Amino acid sequence: MKTKISLINTLFLSSLAMLMSCGQSGDSGSSGALGSSIAEKVYVAPGERDEQYAFLSGGYSGNLTVYGLPSGRLFKEIPVFSQFPTSGYGYSEETKPMLNTSFGFIPWDDLHHPDISQTNGELDGRWVFANGNNTPRIARISLTTFETEEIIEVPNSAGNHSSSFITENTEYVVAGTRFSVPVPQKDMPIKDYKSNFKGALTFIAVDQQHGHMDIKFQLMMPGFNYDLSHPGRGKSHGWFFFSTYNTEEANTLLEVNASQNDKDFIAAVNWKKIEQYVNNGGGTKMAAKYAHNVYDESTHTATSTIKEEVLTVNPADVPGAIYFLPTPKSPHGCDVDPNGDYIIGAGKLSANITVHSFDKMLAAIKGQKFDGDAYGIPILNYDDVLAGSVQSGGLGPLHTEFDGRGNAYTTFFISSEVVKWKLGTWEVVDRKPTYYSVGHLMIPGGNSRKPHGKYLVAMNKITKDRYLPTGPEMEHSAQIYDISGEKMELLYDFPTHGEPHYAAGCNAELLVNNSKKIYRLDENKHPYGITRPSEARVERKGKEVHIYMATIRSHFTPDNIEGVKVGDKVYFHITNHEQDFDVPHGFSMIGQGTSEILIMPGQTKTSLWEPKRVGVWPFYCTDFCSALHQEMQGYVRVSPANSNIELSWSLDDE
Amino acid sequence: MKNAGILMILGSAMLVGLFFFPMWNIRLGAPQYPEPLGIDIHVNGLRGESEFDIQNIDGLNHYIGMKTLPKPEDMWEFSVFPKVVAAMALIGIVIGILGMFQKISPIWFIVWFVLMSILGALGIYDFNLWLVSYGSDLDPNAILKLVNPDGTPMQYNPPLIGHKKLLNFDAFSYPRTGGILMGVGMLLTLVAYFLGRKSQVTTK
Amino acid sequence: MKVTILNPLVLLVLPALIWPCTSPGEAETASDSSAITESHPMGQASVVDNVSDANILQVAVSSEPHSTLVAAVQAAQIEHILVNAGPLTVFAPVNGAFDALPEGTVENLLKPENKSDLATILTRHAAPGSYDLAALQREAKKGRKLYMATGDYLEVTSDGDKVDRWRCNDSRHYTCLKWNYTCDRKSDSTLNNNQNEN
Repeated sequence: MKTKISLINTLFLSSLAMLMSCGQSGDSGSSGALGSSIAEKVYVAPGERDEQYAFLSGGYSGNLTVYGLPSGRLFKEIPVFSQFPTSGYGYSEETKPMLNTSFGFIPWDDLHHPDISQTNGELDGRWVFANGNNTPRIARISLTTFETEEIIEVPNSAGNHSSSFITENTEYVVAGTRFSVPVPQKDMPIKDYKSNFKGALTFIAVDQQHGHMDIKFQLMMPGFNYDLSHPGRGKSHGWFFFSTYNTEEANTLLEVNASQNDKDFIAAVNWKKIEQYVNNGGGTKMAAKYAHNVYDESTHTATSTIKEEVLTVNPADVPGAIYFLPTPKSPHGCDVDPNGDYIIGAGKLSANITVHSFDKMLAAIKGQKFDGDAYGIPILNYDDVLAGSVQSGGLGPLHTEFDGRGNAYTTFFISSEVVKWKLGTWEVVDRKPTYYSVGHLMIPGGNSRKPHGKYLVAMNKITKDRYLPTGPEMEHSAQIYDISGEKMELLYDFPTHGEPHYAAGCNAELLVNNSKKIYRLDENKHPYGITRPSEARVERKGKEVHIYMATIRSHFTPDNIEGVKVGDKVYFHITNHEQDFDVPHGFSMIGQGTSEILIMPGQTKTSLWEPKRVGVWPFYCTDFCSALHQEMQGYVRVSPANSNIELSWSLDDE
Repeated sequence: MKNAGILMILGSAMLVGLFFFPMWNIRLGAPQYPEPLGIDIHVNGLRGESEFDIQNIDGLNHYIGMKTLPKPEDMWEFSVFPKVVAAMALIGIVIGILGMFQKISPIWFIVWFVLMSILGALGIYDFNLWLVSYGSDLDPNAILKLVNPDGTPMQYNPPLIGHKKLLNFDAFSYPRTGGILMGVGMLLTLVAYFLGRKSQVTTK
Repeated sequence: MKVTILNPLVLLVLPALIWPCTSPGEAETASDSSAITESHPMGQASVVDNVSDANILQVAVSSEPHSTLVAAVQAAQIEHILVNAGPLTVFAPVNGAFDALPEGTVENLLKPENKSDLATILTRHAAPGSYDLAALQREAKKGRKLYMATGDYLEVTSDGDKVDRWRCNDSRHYTCLKWNYTCDRKSDSTLNNNQNEN
């Protein structure tokens, strides 16, 4: 009897599902209605771990977030371009230099496009690079410590948007300007933009051992807007492709004035040729101020250096290195397939996706078949380079990624969907809605020679009613699709932090074994670090008081300090003496005009306190480190500025 | 008798393994230590299974007032045991060689085995004494003073062998490569004795 | 018959878009039977919001003279496009414009099998961008064409202060001819800021 009932229920449910799907189409062949099987695909049981890492940009949060796939669980927010009180990044004395620029200390930026380092076109898991859009910068984040290790400012650039994409052996991280600007900057009428402003495409060389970045050259392109870029790979390795808009060179009301030309360009740049030219002494050095900030893992300290000069290259001086590929309607996304055969330009006002052929491009260049030039840069014939056009049926195509099985996936902002199509035949094979208004999408490895085509993450700009309401401001939403089958399947929906633009992802195995657990105390080279609690002390240098402090569960050494005076600058240099995984200690002082600091095992961090009032003031550990965390506290006695109380310090009166 | 002698040499030589491999191991696992903390007990001292395990065990134990784990210089055993082991290995090998050339009776094999067993038992007894004192000789000013339901102070000595629950930790105590080699080696010497006796009987 | 720009407030600039939902042959892939998608069968148009400024869809639904257009949008299943952030301006034909089409045209387009044709035609009435009447007059004055969501261009001409004429510049397409027909039926096809005027 029981069996019968459940059979009837099943029949009823499935017919219901049929009815529901019939509302939009006659096809209900998919088993998607069985929600439980979808749940199993994203369920990562307690204690189990995800298959893949996803690094989602935080957009206007300035930071990078680390998620697991398929669970959508947030693992970490890595501070990059923004001060981060959670760890003290940008507040501690050691990390303040990371946010230095030629404009001074900038506490924020807009982080857009993470890209994981590659070797031979495959993800190698050494670093992830990311761009700061607003005050142009490129950051390098270590994938062993998951901390920002280096930030280089990009001069002559503004709205660093077609960045930070890497070549297939991480030879370069490339940064293209969105705004063209006067180069060098000068006081001039805005309306004289046309033919006077320049668009800098910056090639930053990456040291293969340490990852250190150094601007190799800046290509001074015509004053268009350089929107997005991707490297050639495989056969097209050595080339870089940049989408452009505003080839009209309008300087106002761009929503109209930059949409007048039927076609803009994808700029194809043969960087190997320019590299050779530069290596042979080519290019012009010009004065340009920009900051280069490097964090040293052994001293736990960043240093900022202002550089004064950059090498620029005028495209006219390297004939045959740059060509324009006409691409309809203000192309936004500029993506290259895993084999390096096709360059995909998604005209964001178009209904269709334009695909250029690398082979055809080379043939057209060889045949010298040009359709005029723009500022001396040859324009190829649209029809000569066109491989095909995807009649998408969608509206507002933006970005494309690949699954490594001959399929491409393009997001459509206005029609809120992901469209799957076939490379070569250009036929649309599937489409799925997103919720809502998708920007970028990410398939781990989807912009490399070897995509891991199992999951696709769509990052949406509009959330509305996807989650429980939280007032006018809500986090953005992302959706995970299973793309292992012929049809995409929506698996899961999760909120993201900030405004995720792009993301990069990789298989978990690539990183798990390299992830650091602790910093070794015996390798701590911090000038104010102490390796034994017995070295704890307090020193005065004029108005500066330096406290060499140690922490271990569950006390500070020293925890009673006297002899500090109003008007002093008190530096707490705190070394965490734990050598145990995941036992950080925190520190904060009452009335301190800065954030707490969070100190990892073996690390030294410095917190500045400027006491303004006489009294006995407490500090405590801000991280629940142990059962006696609450006992982990101490006092500093602050005396009047003219007091003659000697400096003294103690722990347990010793 | 030749084979018996070779076995005797081999068996006693396996004691040398104690200089290369840990004899015993104690592991402490807890939910917050998915990779358990481990102490490898070598004939000449204690070592952490991972580099900082000793430091971290000491760090945890200070809450309940346990002494820090002994350094080699803190316990006479760690200087005497290596000498005893080396001497026994050497004696065993010499006996084996003499036995192989039929210079001595296989009785010596069993004499060696018995002596080694007595020494081993003493060693284990001593080890257990240390475990008990380590787990019960607690600092009276300890941060946490825990008592059993009957009111007696809680003791934290790990088991001599096997599993024991110590507060939130699961302690596991088992022989490791060095100890196992020693056990197998001793068994081999016992086999050598019976083989030797058998061949003696047949030659007679 | 008049063509009006739908305007929720004064003049009608609608931040959203009309677009062809599916191209021929893919209709069957437009949705799966997943319960996940069923919770929002109309995508963003399923969001319940009576507080914000009315979006294009809500304006159209509440406007009696646009009832045929609304029916067409629903038949084409492109409601979610009209509530998208866009920006989109819809040149919204009033019922009279549809009535003026040859007998049976509308009925034919409303048939499920012609869904994508219908979507394409509606898309031709949408321009990515925000244009109010002043903006359109400015475009006309500067001689700039409007790019429509289908990739066609709309030439805007201004005839005096009161009458602004607009016509499709590309008459090669069947649908565009239809559209021309819609606009050219009456010489006074004005852009009118009174959405209720018929």
